[in-house]
Amino acid sequence: MSDSSHSIPIGKLLRADNSQFVAGCRVRELETPAFGSLVRASLADDTDVYGLITNISINDDGLVRQLVSGVSIPGEYTADNRYNRNLPVEIHVLTIGYQSEGQLRHQLPPRPPLSLDQLFLCGSDEVARFTSLGAGYLRHILRLTDQPIEELLVAHLSQARRVQDSLGNPEWYEDACQRLIVLLRDDYMRLTQVLDALSELE
Amino acid sequence: MEPQANLSPENPPIGFVTGGGLEANLQVKLTVPAQTVQEGAFVVMDSGNWRFYGLVTDLQLAAVDPNYASQLNSQRFSPRLARYLNQNTLYTNLAVMPALMLEKGPDPASPEYPAWAQNRPEKVKPITVKTVPDHHAPVKLANAGDIAEIFGKEDGKTIFRVGETREQGHAVCLDLEKFVQRSSGIFGTTGSGKSFLARMILAGLIHANNASTLIFDMHNEYGPSSTSSDTGQPVSGLKQQFQSRVRLVGLGAGTDFGALHADFQLEIAHKDITPEDILQLTQTLNLKETTAATLDALQTSFGENWFSEFMNMRGKAVEEDEEGRRRPAPDSVEAWANEAGVHVGAAESLRSKLSRLMNRPYLVNSPASNGLAEIIDSLQAGRHVILSFGRFDSELDYLLVTNLITRKIRDSWEAATNQYHKDKKVEPRPLVVVVEEAHKLLNREMASQTIFSTIAREMRKYYVTLLIIDQRPSQIYDEVMSQLGTRISGALGDEDDINAVLSGLAGRNALRGMLAKLQPKEEVLMLGWGVPMPIPIRSRRYDDKFWQELHKDGQPKFATTADYNKFLGLGDDDTD
Repeated sequence: MSDSSHSIPIGKLLRADNSQFVAGCRVRELETPAFGSLVRASLADDTDVYGLITNISINDDGLVRQLVSGVSIPGEYTADNRYNRNLPVEIHVLTIGYQSEGQLRHQLPPRPPLSLDQLFLCGSDEVARFTSLGAGYLRHILRLTDQPIEELLVAHLSQARRVQDSLGNPEWYEDACQRLIVLLRDDYMRLTQVLDALSELE
Repeated sequence: MEPQANLSPENPPIGFVTGGGLEANLQVKLTVPAQTVQEGAFVVMDSGNWRFYGLVTDLQLAAVDPNYASQLNSQRFSPRLARYLNQNTLYTNLAVMPALMLEKGPDPASPEYPAWAQNRPEKVKPITVKTVPDHHAPVKLANAGDIAEIFGKEDGKTIFRVGETREQGHAVCLDLEKFVQRSSGIFGTTGSGKSFLARMILAGLIHANNASTLIFDMHNEYGPSSTSSDTGQPVSGLKQQFQSRVRLVGLGAGTDFGALHADFQLEIAHKDITPEDILQLTQTLNLKETTAATLDALQTSFGENWFSEFMNMRGKAVEEDEEGRRRPAPDSVEAWANEAGVHVGAAESLRSKLSRLMNRPYLVNSPASNGLAEIIDSLQAGRHVILSFGRFDSELDYLLVTNLITRKIRDSWEAATNQYHKDKKVEPRPLVVVVEEAHKLLNREMASQTIFSTIAREMRKYYVTLLIIDQRPSQIYDEVMSQLGTRISGALGDEDDINAVLSGLAGRNALRGMLAKLQPKEEVLMLGWGVPMPIPIRSRRYDDKFWQELHKDGQPKFATTADYNKFLGLGDDDTD
């Protein structure tokens, strides 16, 4: 199991399959997780499943609908709805690797995490460790079809680059960019959109 | 015998094979900047047990998707991303014409090697390419060892260095033994460095001395030293450098070259002129169809003295008989024509046209010496002859004299060869006849009449070959061009000339562009039977350094052209 000393628990598993999973958290816990962050679900068999937050969704319920259609909403109603509500915020995660028996791999795990498994936000050391294996895991991101992958890439690469730069490894970002170009060069439209987005990081 | 080890360090790969074939050239994706490679580069590809040798015939810019090439990426993305994008989506394709392949066997450390080594031939030689390397076979620029493997290693004798590869400057040699076995040609437009190239090859031939050379020096530029019209620098003549190995012959009495004296002067006896020599001037003298019959009759009447006798006849001379009737004078053309049964008009017309020859000072009734025999004797004795035309540089002089001498040579060498086949005693000395302005002798109209097309086609078996030097190869008869074994060409601009030089060769289309883009005065393309594969090279400079290198096994009499000029009492620049 990974060293979790710098990890922050951010929710628990709602549902999962091999390639993605969804965790839930309370609204008041929503300050920590961010789009594109590296997260980890720790399984009971000492396997860690790693993923990137691809979406954070907040669902409605009947009460919210009624409140929204009201003329004015008192402040305490809003606070009550946010902090005492039973409907969780959903954190969607794309699986990008796993660790088993101390071996980190950028492949899909043999089994998905189980419901109510704890989801952690990875700290800098874990981000460094995961990304230092290479940029091959970026291929999982390119599988997404219903997500703005260029935005996800910008968000994630921004985090990973910061960590790698701090370790004196600026070429990591260059390698990642080149890997992305190689992976996407057969799709001109998609690659140029990604590069447009990455140009903002420069 | 162990195969020659290639001790030169291998060059790093420049790309890998992606497709193509024997007919359509191999496609190679370049992994280094395009400017690393030039058209004409000599490359090697290792695949299986074979090493393939090829020539880069084209470079094409390509892209993974045309959109990447059509947009200026640096304007859209950050400089760094644009650079990465260009590196990974834009590339260059090489078209490589495969030419030769050499079995190099498995890795000497592999278990298969002993079995292969046991069965291999004693000397592994490159063969014409018959298969293709595998996909992704690495492609490298040939190193010095590869080039020596194919073109030979300079030996100071018959393996003669003619230049260097353009990219890495590795020596490229010409096998002069093979060069003289078939007729060959040196081509290039005016100003392409053709004369210097010819001088250099001739120097190599004379130095190697595996064949005699007879040089018809129409413009007096090979024998005596001269001054370069471009640089003003003195240019060594072959006589200066080879001294007694070369006999410098002036055409006609009094032909000399400043302080440099001819070894002897050539005068041609009237009796040496045959009807065949005259027929070869049909076009130049505008002779009629009746000429052959008239010449036949002349020879029947006067034998070998026909020319003198004919020239001594008077044109329209008449006299009156005792009864006052006018009749042709006994020494008139008409009187002879009537007697010989020849058309009078045709005979008088021929007499009038041949009078142009009568005026040539080098045609005499009784020459002071038998210059023709001396030329042939010198050549058979293993010396080299440069016949300078001096002031007689008209087309008529050139055609008459070259044909006449070459006909004599053909007769001598045929006789010597036949004798050798009979008694196996003295093998004839190979002879190279060097002809400048070859299109004047070998054009479509003349080729059937002159002796030279016969030499190009058939004389190889009689040990005589031609080396033709010309700036308009398209004007030379196709049949002659197709017989040329080795062709060395400087830059050519005219499409027809380029096609002519490439006639009869495989891979013409690929070589066409290469020939058009040669750097004047610096680069030449060697191709044809006499070289293992076509290759463009930076030609060796014809200068004092060249002579020092050539004479290193035996000291030249004069180290530099300037020394020689001093010996002659001339200024450094005034050598002509």
